[in-house]
Amino acid sequence: MTSSQALPGARFVDPKILLRVGNLELLARHVVEGFINGLHRAPYFGASIDFAEHRGYVAGDDIRRVDWRVFARTDRFYVKQYEADTNTNVSVLLDVSRSMKFSNRGVPKLEYGCFVGACLAYLAQRQRDRVGLITFDNDIVSHVPPSAKHFNVVLHTMERARPERPGNLPIPLHKMDAVLEAIKPLKFLGNDLIVFHVLDPAEIDFGYEDASSFEDLETGEQIPVVPESLVREYRSMIQAHILALTTKFSEHRIDYTVLNTAEPLDRALFSYLSSRERLMRVR
Amino acid sequence: MAFLTPFFLLGLSAIAIPVLIHLIQREKKRVIEFPSLMFVRRIPYQSVRRRRIRHWALLLMRAAAIALIVAAFARPFIHQGTVAAAVGGGAREVVILLDQSASMGYGDHWSRARDAARAVVRGLGADDRATLVLFDKNAEENMRATSDRTRLEAAINAAHVGSGATRYGPALKLAESILSRSAIKRREAVLVSDFQRSGWSGSEEVRFPEGMTVSTVSVASPNSANLAVPSVTFARASFSGQERITVTAGLSNKGDEPLKDVPVTLTIDGHEIQTERATVAPHAAGSVTFAQFTLTGPNVRGSVRAGADLLPADNIFHFVLAPSEPVSLAIVDSGDRSDGSLFLSKALSIGTTPTFHVDVASASRVTPTAFDKRAVAVLNDTMFPPAGGGGVLKRFLERGGGLLVVTGDHTTWPPGEAELLPGRLGATVDRTSGRSGSLGYLDYSHPVFEVFKAPRSGDFSAAHVFRYRALQTLPTDRILARFDDGAIAAAERKVGAGRAIVWTSTLDDSWTDIGVKPIFLPLVHQLVRYLAHYEPATSWFTVGQVLDLTARAKGRADKSDRIVVTPSGERISQSSAGEGSEGLLELNEQGVYEVRSSGAAASPPSRIWRRSIRASS
Repeated sequence: MTSSQALPGARFVDPKILLRVGNLELLARHVVEGFINGLHRAPYFGASIDFAEHRGYVAGDDIRRVDWRVFARTDRFYVKQYEADTNTNVSVLLDVSRSMKFSNRGVPKLEYGCFVGACLAYLAQRQRDRVGLITFDNDIVSHVPPSAKHFNVVLHTMERARPERPGNLPIPLHKMDAVLEAIKPLKFLGNDLIVFHVLDPAEIDFGYEDASSFEDLETGEQIPVVPESLVREYRSMIQAHILALTTKFSEHRIDYTVLNTAEPLDRALFSYLSSRERLMRVR
Repeated sequence: MAFLTPFFLLGLSAIAIPVLIHLIQREKKRVIEFPSLMFVRRIPYQSVRRRRIRHWALLLMRAAAIALIVAAFARPFIHQGTVAAAVGGGAREVVILLDQSASMGYGDHWSRARDAARAVVRGLGADDRATLVLFDKNAEENMRATSDRTRLEAAINAAHVGSGATRYGPALKLAESILSRSAIKRREAVLVSDFQRSGWSGSEEVRFPEGMTVSTVSVASPNSANLAVPSVTFARASFSGQERITVTAGLSNKGDEPLKDVPVTLTIDGHEIQTERATVAPHAAGSVTFAQFTLTGPNVRGSVRAGADLLPADNIFHFVLAPSEPVSLAIVDSGDRSDGSLFLSKALSIGTTPTFHVDVASASRVTPTAFDKRAVAVLNDTMFPPAGGGGVLKRFLERGGGLLVVTGDHTTWPPGEAELLPGRLGATVDRTSGRSGSLGYLDYSHPVFEVFKAPRSGDFSAAHVFRYRALQTLPTDRILARFDDGAIAAAERKVGAGRAIVWTSTLDDSWTDIGVKPIFLPLVHQLVRYLAHYEPATSWFTVGQVLDLTARAKGRADKSDRIVVTPSGERISQSSAGEGSEGLLELNEQGVYEVRSSGAAASPPSRIWRRSIRASS
């Protein structure tokens, strides 16, 4: 524990959060090809406890895998095959554009995102998955390739992440078609996508009172705003936007979760992971 | 409802402040960072809402707070008389406070004041009761509570302007006392006055209980022009054995117009001596000096009258002049030197207030009668005079005489007379070697040195003392001065009614050079004045002062009863044996008070008093 705290970025792996979500698993919904045994289903048979099928014995098969009960019934040699469990690559894509430095009532959005990414990376690393990190704004800022040994590097990179430049994705993030266009390539490669939409409570309820000039963190544009005059419209628009995103992502079998930075992360993450586990059984 | 200080209501304009703050605060430029304004951008901007007041309750509370503060500063009050009248009728208890101070004699103030008082009386109902209180410096219940309007009006008609100063405190307290005793619910006090500013000190602490009302009737007039003679000073000089007086009268013009060629007349014993013309600028003071005149006898009446105006009382200043009585001294020296008392006698020959009558004699030749009728005896560096022995000096002191013992080489003091000397003389201390001595401590609380208390009022340290006699005093003796080495320079002892002071060095140039220092003359004068119980003659007193005639009669041979004739002709008998308040005389009138021995023929007045009067302003 001492050594992990000394590690840069170790603060993102909060024991309080892990205490709540540590027993959960982050499993890939798809079959993945890994090199070692893990928790994910592999496209081939392996040495798991999950029975898959029988096949006829061929020369060279290990005779220990012959199902003697079937031989007794059929007088033929059949070999039992088990589903293979393997590991996979988990990459955390973290938005580090300027809008992520926003903080009104809770922690800054970037820090909250780092907590989410670090927790997920920890879970993956604990289940022997390879973890990596990509931070981006308008471009890729840093890239940590997935590796079983890169967990510390991921944390270190998160620690160094600074929201300095405007991002390109935030703009499409609010334009649903563009969002999907940006994400689809990832989906096409057979990846299992989980989208965490980190929002500050101020972004949701627009709880400002005094008329002021509002500056767009991404563009730097300033607009005089009388909050009381548009708060109702704003709230309805943001809710409609979230609802639309939820719908669109669901259509593409992408998990989409809104994280409110005012909420404790352990509760939000537990809620998501437990529901994902529950849905995995259904699927 | 009205306000005592309505100008504060201008502060109501401050209500605009919270409104402005309310609006300005909303308009202030604040930049709030926000992740994305894509939704905000879609909503049209409504600038008109900026100028709207949003929190009406908050704004109203702020404005109300300011309005209440302003109203409190404006000191609102309710006319309780109106309220009381509105609450109910019934009988009234009324106290009429009629100002009869000297300033009411200005113009028609007094007649208007009486008219106002009569109007109050006429306004009384059948069941109402009224009390008439006449006041100046003091308040007097002239007519007790009565419903008889005829008697009240008669009392008002009989009242007259006095010579006293105006004080509202006693009158209001008396009114409060009368009204508090009354069982009638409706109680009122009516104050009729010209409202001299000096009449209210602000510390009267008069509190009228709830339900009592005080209404005022002002008879002051805007015209405040007034010429007054506020003071007269006298310069005395001797000429051919007679005393000549120069009178200087001060004039003050309180009006807005200059007074030109005002006649100012000096009258002595009823005869107009001289009339001068004076011009006094507006709101300024001036003076007129008359020619010298010879004082012919004791208790000479005099007065200075200047012009004529609406307040004649303060145009005249009365006084009494008496020839100054010289302080008689007997200086006894050793007789060894012809100029042994030169410094002392020369210093005492200069005085004018008082003048000093000095006789110098040697100790061996002085006779016991030399101390008779003397105020002060000075033993100047001499042996104890044989004529002073046998209780002569002791009796001299006990009857009020003063003894100044100046020590030197020749000073001796018999043990039998030790009680007369403030201490026991010791050996001579020689300070000629090295640094000479000087006076290091003076008891400035003592009357002798009190006049030197102020800075630059006499440099005693400039005098060098080369020799002095050691002195050992008793605890009952008072140390008046010490030398720089702590030795006693002067000490005092009370013997009977008299005073004895010892000066342990000389008062010439033999042991000290104090005789050639500027401090010498005032020091000697102060010593003699103190020892002689000298008090400068008073030529006039101010109305309102109280005189203790018994104390002033002490020491006089005439022990018969006294009759005091006031300026208005009232005769007041006083017993010569009267103690306490019996011998006190309150001076309430302007003019001449005569104090005569009972049964004696009319004699010249012994004192004259006047007062200064301020006109209405």
